[in-house]
Amino acid sequence: MMDNKTFIIAGILISLFIGIMAVFLASGDPDGLESSALVISGQKTLTGLAPEDGDPEAIGTGSFSYTSPMPDYSLDEEMGSMGGIIAIVAGTLITLLVVMGASYAVRLSKNT
Amino acid sequence: MHIPDAFIPLPQAAVYWIAAIIFLALAIRWARSELNEDKIPLIAVLAAGIFALQSFNLPVSMGTSGHLVGGALAAIVLGSPFAAVFILTLVLIIQGFIFGDGGITVMGANILNMGVIGGFVGYYSFQGLLKILKNPYISSAVAAWLACLIPSLACAVEMYVAGTFPLVPGLVAMGLYHAIIGVIEGIVTAVIIYVLLMARPDLVETSVGVASA
Repeated sequence: MMDNKTFIIAGILISLFIGIMAVFLASGDPDGLESSALVISGQKTLTGLAPEDGDPEAIGTGSFSYTSPMPDYSLDEEMGSMGGIIAIVAGTLITLLVVMGASYAVRLSKNT
Repeated sequence: MHIPDAFIPLPQAAVYWIAAIIFLALAIRWARSELNEDKIPLIAVLAAGIFALQSFNLPVSMGTSGHLVGGALAAIVLGSPFAAVFILTLVLIIQGFIFGDGGITVMGANILNMGVIGGFVGYYSFQGLLKILKNPYISSAVAAWLACLIPSLACAVEMYVAGTFPLVPGLVAMGLYHAIIGVIEGIVTAVIIYVLLMARPDLVETSVGVASA
């Protein structure tokens, strides 16, 4: 059985490996909700291929917009897959730290 | 099925936020009583893994791709639907604010679909199936499939209420795509539970451990 330290390190390495593989291997096709939006707005048939220049959000009516620092898990276009790797590695480590921090914070609040 | 901001009008988005916050409060109460020094590494690593897996879109044919959501996985491994709410809320906050995946105003709806509905469907269908099938891997795979499909149908209904999708075509498209995406969710969930039981059987909730012993 693994001790805690080995378990955390192994878990982080596997997560980073999956994330980095995703940068190169992930499908560029729209996800289930986007694909449904393309079907509803007539840009795609139910079982057909995704359109090259489809805009799933065209169907939306909301006006709120927010620009994230690393949209679509990438940095500048020029950085290419390196930008994607940086974004995924940062995201995975941020998630680890945020969840660990939140868990300790919740636990500490129990004792006060 | 990360809903973007444009898909739900603000007043409705606020309603979903209120519902999400109620479940989040219950999830924090769960975390306060259940998380100990031993479980914190598991929950943190699981969350990091779920983040990485969610970025990995796999082609599911019909011009569509899909990725693991992880609600059933978190709930089954940590033994509570609130574990899924806790992890998925934090993952969705990071995805929304840093990576623009899923909107900000609609984050409540996303938490409700993937964390709350995904977590509860995943956990209770796993418990029910385990009693009948006696096999934790098949039970978790089917539970994870349901925990992908049912939130997508809930999402389709939310899209109908929002006036973004018509009801039946929305249900058909969302249901069809996520029935296939759910197969990936099911297989990956069962594999991860198998690996976790090999590496750290003590950390995985007793209900799973006992049944596999």
